This record gives sequence, structure tokens and C-alpha cells, in this order.
Amino acid sequence: MKISRRHVLRGAGGVAVTLPFLEGLAPREAKAAEGERPFAIFFRQANGVASAQNTEVGNEPERFWPTQLGALTEATMGGRAVGELVDFADKLLIVRNCNMNNYDFGDGHARGAMQGLVARGAAVAGAGGSSEASGESIDHRIGRELNPDGRDSLFMYAGSSGGWLGGPCISYRGSADRRSALHNPATSYQTMMGVDAEEFGELIARQKSVNDLVRDQMDTLLASSKLSGLDKTRLELHRAAIRDLESSLSCNLEQDAEMELDGMSAGYDSDDGIQVLNAARAHMKVAALAVSCGYTRSVAIQVGSGNDGSTRYENLGSGGLMENYHFLSHRRSSHDSSGAVIANSDVLHSYVDIQFARAFNFLLEELDQYLMPNGDSALNNGVAIWYNDNGNGPGHSPNNIPYVIGGSACGYFKQGQNVELSDGGANHRKMLQTIGTAVGLTTNGGPLDDFGDPGLDGGILDELLA
Amino acid sequence: MRGSILGNLTVAVLLSSGCYGGLTAEDNAASGGTDGVDDGDGGDGNDDGDDDGDDEAEGGVDEGSNPEELPAPNTRFYRLTHAQWENTVRDLLQLTDVTGFSVEFRPDAEESGYIYANNAQATEVDSALWAGYQRAATSTATLAIVTDPSIMDTIVTTPGDPEAFIRDFGRRAFRRSLTDAEVAVYMGAWSDAPSYYTDSVGFEAGVRLTLESMLQSPMFLYRIEASEGEAGGVIPLSDYEVASRLSYFLWDSMPDDELLDAAAADMLGEYEGVAEQAARMLDNPKAANAVEQFHYALHNVKHFESAAPNAAIYPDAPADLGLLAQEEHSRFVQDVIFEQNGSYIDLLTSNETFVNAETAALYGLDASNYGPEFEKATLDASQRRGIFTQLGFLVSNATGVQPDPIHRGVFMVKRIACGQIPAPPDNVPDLPAAEGQTNREAIVALTEQPGSDCSGCHSTVINPWGFPFENYDSTGAWRDLDNGFTVDPATNVVLGGVEVPVANALELIDVMVTSDEVHNCYADNWVQFANGRPRAAEDGPLIQRLAGLSKEDNSVKDVLIELVTSRPFRARSTQEVD
Repeated sequence: MKISRRHVLRGAGGVAVTLPFLEGLAPREAKAAEGERPFAIFFRQANGVASAQNTEVGNEPERFWPTQLGALTEATMGGRAVGELVDFADKLLIVRNCNMNNYDFGDGHARGAMQGLVARGAAVAGAGGSSEASGESIDHRIGRELNPDGRDSLFMYAGSSGGWLGGPCISYRGSADRRSALHNPATSYQTMMGVDAEEFGELIARQKSVNDLVRDQMDTLLASSKLSGLDKTRLELHRAAIRDLESSLSCNLEQDAEMELDGMSAGYDSDDGIQVLNAARAHMKVAALAVSCGYTRSVAIQVGSGNDGSTRYENLGSGGLMENYHFLSHRRSSHDSSGAVIANSDVLHSYVDIQFARAFNFLLEELDQYLMPNGDSALNNGVAIWYNDNGNGPGHSPNNIPYVIGGSACGYFKQGQNVELSDGGANHRKMLQTIGTAVGLTTNGGPLDDFGDPGLDGGILDELLA
Repeated sequence: MRGSILGNLTVAVLLSSGCYGGLTAEDNAASGGTDGVDDGDGGDGNDDGDDDGDDEAEGGVDEGSNPEELPAPNTRFYRLTHAQWENTVRDLLQLTDVTGFSVEFRPDAEESGYIYANNAQATEVDSALWAGYQRAATSTATLAIVTDPSIMDTIVTTPGDPEAFIRDFGRRAFRRSLTDAEVAVYMGAWSDAPSYYTDSVGFEAGVRLTLESMLQSPMFLYRIEASEGEAGGVIPLSDYEVASRLSYFLWDSMPDDELLDAAAADMLGEYEGVAEQAARMLDNPKAANAVEQFHYALHNVKHFESAAPNAAIYPDAPADLGLLAQEEHSRFVQDVIFEQNGSYIDLLTSNETFVNAETAALYGLDASNYGPEFEKATLDASQRRGIFTQLGFLVSNATGVQPDPIHRGVFMVKRIACGQIPAPPDNVPDLPAAEGQTNREAIVALTEQPGSDCSGCHSTVINPWGFPFENYDSTGAWRDLDNGFTVDPATNVVLGGVEVPVANALELIDVMVTSDEVHNCYADNWVQFANGRPRAAEDGPLIQRLAGLSKEDNSVKDVLIELVTSRPFRARSTQEVD
């Protein structure tokens, strides 16, 4: 494991700050114990992975999954995309046979992207590129129930704005109520930090005065009996967002880290995959800081639009940029099957997988570098989840969705294993409920069992637990 | 000669082909719309402003609009878009350019395929955006008071009088007069202001805190429609609310003093008052901004950037072809609508455009006659007719090698005719080899096999709208040959329920110009953009009236004046949105 340096959380003026709610962490048992505050960071890739399949390119060999189930080792991970994570082999749980439900979204990308964190079908069936999910996403549920003061969880996006499904499309407050994403990582950081520490003293009193005035105005508006349900919900969200500055000042980076963040963020709205993944890494730096200092208990990071249809990732063989990722995933120079076959597109697809693996590795490194008050790393306190909308490339299957889980959430998850779920049905809802339970969501005091589509099998995936 | 504004509706006969799904008779019936016969205000063929007096007018919303045109339920709280925030702050502080502080706002979500950036029901203020508003308000106040004190000198019209400043600035910031209670609140805060700043004292500190506070107020951040009184089956908006609807639709910014004064004088409750202000506003350069935004979204101009002709096949294609096409589109739209006072038909048919040395050759022009700057040029009328024979649409709907008739067709059907096309099936068969045949023949072989899943939509709807553009290659340049064979751009396109043979793109456009569906679609999109929401059933009658005006070759500006003077634009629904 790489532990080259460890961050020390700093408050205003660079003074180390206490992280009260992270104190008292104790070895955990099978579910979240009192006083523990595990977190989840979701890292989403589109278009499936280059797994073994038979396509018009030919019989494509396995290029993603470990060579065998069981212990994750250099031998089982080597030569596959997940091999990029071998330094964290003993902190990983790789899950096969996680299956989404085959809801009618009218489009395989919408089905995967919008079901991914929601585990429900479409708000309007068959709407294709105009689809919306029909429920709350797990990242939002975690934030809503577990964040301090009900603070919004962070939803971040890297890649060109717009595109299929409108760009950011995985995080929902509720049915057809899509969340806006933080696009520029520098804005993500500022959102969390709130204010420059040097300005803190002057700002705090003034902003409190302004906030009080604005709250009064919001309360007046909210008191109107004529408000529609929609407007009431929107204004309540606005009212809750008005926060005084002291609540977030413990989360800031040292100056050199801020400069590094700025440099990494430059290509957040780009089609250049190198820049996009650099921006994703910048989001990850902010995410790691945010969960470590207690700003939020969940983060969702989306790379690329609903089909990541404009990003051109690096050709790891020849250098330069490849055809856009969506074309590669279809193996053709077209957003459908009408274009010419792209030679070696299965290999090129695996290059994308490898680059996502490297980005995920960066997140694990970041989390591993934060030393928490209990003396353990942030990585051991929470989970980072790299998942995909689809199981594979051209087929865009809802089955065998890649789930790579880093960290144990204080000992909740197995570690160092590649497991295959025994339930061959649509078990994706169970996966999200298991993750929700790991970070502390409950239903009537027990494991989370009221998330997602109640028409699907409930419960959690016991075979993933330590 | 441009036709005058007429109120008579055009019979819109819209039939479906089994795949196609545009505006239907059922939509119209559900909306309480007309049967195609204009029984509204009629119109006398003269746009004389008198609007024929008192025909169907009902309480609260005067003449000038069809009483069957009803507003659909919508939010009462229209949060400023980020562009509106920038434009409003610019105008509020009387700056020459925007501050750029909104760059730190997180972008709004794009929901449900709605293509404009002003989805009123989806825009919200979450903690990330609130933090952005805080920072931007602070930065704006610092700019106006510390960085460039001349700004304060401009916005303070009565130096040394806090209450006068609060009332004056507040009226412009909130787009209405402040109540005495509101003034008292800001006066109370004023007295504390000096204690909040280390670099501002006295009156300056008061101005700075007031500015900072008002820019974070919901009264600034939302365009609020609080009117309650029902009259004639609708809730007429107050004059100030009408003023804001006008300014944010036509200018994407706040009302100016003249518009606010008109509201204060109760001049916006009548057709004439609104029409007069709208005409004035459309002559202001700020109107170009909103019109540009509309067409940018409708024509998916951002997608032009994706143009990437294969360099091995098109070695002379500009490296930045997409960006050049964006510039061309912007200049063309502005020229037609504002310089020529042109119509939608002009956008569809003009063979003038703007080129520079890099793009001229793609139109068959002598590049040596042009420099790096874009200039107006007249294109070969036998090859070019309007905006869809210009580079942007063509190059952004092409692969690096060949035109993409499928996506050209899908775009035209969905965006320009407002048809609906179901998603393709999961298992699309492979494209046959291209050797020995044209691009069209390969597409036909793939998508038009009798009895196949694809054929239903492709053979009658998608391909007929795409094949006429086969004369334009991946760079948008004209071609007569494809893969060594003569290009065949002829198809039969179904419009208005009638199958019409067209020989090529030029004939297709001629058919479009006379099509109710095409003009309905353009009007439909303007109504969506004006309302900040997707189309609702109630919009049917207004859309049809505006479409009729468009089809009669009225200018886009005149159509917009009819839109903003309509009953739905000046009133809100008696029903609240769920």
C-alpha cells in the first residue's frame, strides 16, 4: 500500500482542527455501530467494460475482471483493467453478477445511468434521451439522513456539458427531480469550504446578518397559503441551503494543494479524456477532503454524459486521443450501429477502463492519506465504489454490472476478495441497500430495506459482509 | 413584401404515419383549442394596433388575444438563470459588460430533454448554488464600492440619502417598488453596516451591505408572480410582473427604467402598452442575446463542435470547422432577424450567409476573396437554401467519412417538425459493407428491410428527411458523386399527412416553408422558451395562431410581439402546478 504522505486537516489560519464526529471510532461489527460515521463515494463510468464477449469485432477476450474468484492478488488482477488497483488489493472487494433490472427507459444508457444509484425505473417509460429516474438516489438519501444539519451531499461531474441525457444524470432528490452537479472542481471546493479563511473574521458577522434577513424573506414567502407543492419544495430547499459560515470552515486545503487542485481542474468541461479524468481526480481530492472532515457522508462523481458520447480518451498504445468513448463502446464510428467498425475497438475500450481504474486508484490513494482521529485512514472508515451503467460494450447489458468497492466502511465489507453474487436475478437494489446500510442507513432500526423499487427483491447482500 | 400580422389561424392538418407523432388533433382538443377556425379576434389584415376593440376580451386580459388561449400552470418563482443573473447585475450596476462572477455557480440540471436553459420548474437553489450566490454578491459589492467606486457614483442618485438609495436601487433589483416594511428592514441593516467592513465606512458601507443583501434576496433571485385575483378564467399578472416577463424573455435581463415606469403607470395591462414596449425592446441590441440563445439551443449549435471530418479524406477541411460553423450560424441568425427584419421563412430559404477564407471554399466560393473575418456572401442558389444547407447542421450530423442521413433526418423530424421518434431497438443489425454502393444504399439496406423493426420509422419518417441532404458531404461541401456513383437525394416526405415527392434538399425546404407542422414547431419552441417550460396542452391555440403568422411570412420580431401580447403571456393559470 502506498502511504507517501498524510494530510492533516487544517482550519482557519492553518491551525489543525478537531473533527468531533470522527472521534471515538471503534472496530466495527457487521453494521454501523453507535458513534461511527462511515461514508460512501460513488465513481461512475458509462458504456460498460471490455469484458469477454462475442461481438462483430470477434471473440473479445476478457480484459476487465480478475482471472478468478477468491483472493485478489497480483496474479489474479494482472493483465486486466482492475490490475491498476493491485496496490490496494487487500482493500478491495470486486463483485460480479450484480444485475440491474431491465426497466423500459427506451435506451440502454438511460436505463443504466438513471437506475444506477436509484434502483427504480423511469418516471415515464420509454422516453429514451428525455428519461428521468423515478425516485431518490442512494447518495442523496445518505446525505439527507446522515449529513450534519441535512446538508446536501456532493454531486460532481467531469466532462463536456450537455450531451446525452443532459449530462449529469445519476443523482436524484426524488422522482423526476434531478440534482444539479458541481462541474468545476474549484467550485466544488469552494462550496464545501465556504469562504477563504483569511476573510473569515470579517465575513462571519456580516454574512450572518444577511442570512438572517434572507431567512426572514424566505419564511414570508413560505408562509403563503397559495404556494403550490412544487414551489414549496423548491423554496424549502433554498431555505435549507442558507447556512452560516462557521459550519464548513474546518474543510480546507493547504495553499499548495489548492494550487494543485486548480491545475487539475482546468479541463473539467472538455472532450479531452486526459483533461476530463484529471478534473475527475480534482473532484476526488475535494471528495476525500469532504468526507474526511465531515462535510458530507456521501459523494457521487459522474464522468461523461449519459453515454459519455463526446469524451475522447487517451490511446494507451499509440498516444493521442481515440474516437469518442461511446463510439468505441459500440465498436463503430456512430452513436448507433450505422457506422463503420472501429478496428481493435475492444482493446481501445479496455484502454478507457484502464484509465478509469487509474483514476479510481487516485481516489483510494487520497482516502488512504487522510489520517483520521481514530488513527486509521479514511479509506478504512468508508467505501469508494467504482461502478458502471452497463455490464459491457456493444450489448450495454444490465447484467454483471462492475462493482469495485474500496475500503471496508469500518469493517463492514469483506476485503481482498473477488466474489460472484449467488442471486442471479435483479439484485442491484440489494447492492445499493447494502452500501446504504454500511454507511449507516437503517429501516426500523435494521438494515436498509426501503430503498429503491419495492417491486424488486429486498434485503441486503450478506455474502459481501465481513 | 413582408406580410402583416393577421389573427386568423391556419388549418393545421397533422396526420401521423404510424411512427411520426407531432402536434395532433387530440392535443388541440384536449387544450380546448380551436378546430382550425379562427373565432378569436379575427384581425382585419392591418396591424394598426387597435385590435378590433372589444370582441372576445374578458375581464383582466384585454383584447388582442384569443380568449381560448389559456396559460398553463407553472411555477410562481422563476429563478434567474445564470445568464440572467449576469445580465441583470450588469444592468443593475449599469456596467458595459457582465462581471463574470457567475462562473462559480454550479450549472443547472438539464431535465427531461427540455432543450433551453430556463426550465423554471427545474431551477433550484441548493447549498452549492447558495454558496455561489454568496460569493458573487460579495464580489459584486466589492467591485462596485472598492474596486471601481465610479460604479457606486452611478447607482447612487441621491448621495447621502440611505432611504432614497434603498428605494431606488431596490425597485430595480426587485423589479417592483419596495414596501415600507421592506425599506425599514434594509434601513435597519444600514446602520450596522460600518461594523461589518474594514475597508468601507459610513454611507459607502451602507450601500455595500445593501447591495450585498439584495443580491442574495429571493426577491432578486426569483422573478416572483404573486398576483392572485382571478378574472375571465385566468389570473392577470400585475404590470410589474408583465414587465419582468417581457424583459427576461426579450432581453434575458431586468426591465429598464422605461419599462418599470410603464409598469408603475399601469400601462402594461393593455395590448397596446405591451406591444409598444415589446417593439421598443426588440429594437434594442439586448434582444439579440435572447434570440441568439433560442436558436443556439433549437439548432443544437453546441453540437457543431463535434464536427470532425476525416483528415485523410478531407485534407483541406478547417481544423476548427465546428467553431467556424457556430460563428456563421450566429451571424446569419442575427442578420436575418434584426438587420433584415426577416421571418422564419427567410431563415429557411435565404441563400446568403457569412463566410471567411477558411469556409468559403466549402461553399464553392473563391477563398482568395476572403480574409480571416466573416463577410456576407451570396451562395449558389442551385445548391444552397437557408440555414439547413449551411455548414453547422450538415457537419455536425456527419461521420468523419460520410454524411449521416439518419441523424440529419432525426434532427429535422424532432427539432424542426416536432415529431416524435421512438427509441431504436436494442439489437440493431450491422451496417452492410459500403463497397460498390452509395451511402444512401447502405443505409437503406440497413434500415429499410421490409418487415424489420427499423423499417417502420426509417422508411417513412427518418430517412426521407435525411436523404435530401446527401448532396452535402462531411464538411458540408456540395457533392454530385458518392463513392463513384451519382448521389440520389430524392425522397417522398410526409408533411401535413400528405406524401410529397422532393427532388433534393432545396425542394424539401420549399415544402417545409408551406408546412403547418414546420411553422407550428417553430412557434411551439418559442412558446416553450417564453414560458420556461415544456409544451403544455393549453399552449395549442396560441401555437397555432403564431404558426399561422409565421407561415404568412411575418417577421420573427412581429411574431414575438404577438406572443408577448397574447393572453397566456400576460396572465397565469388559475391552477397551481403540482
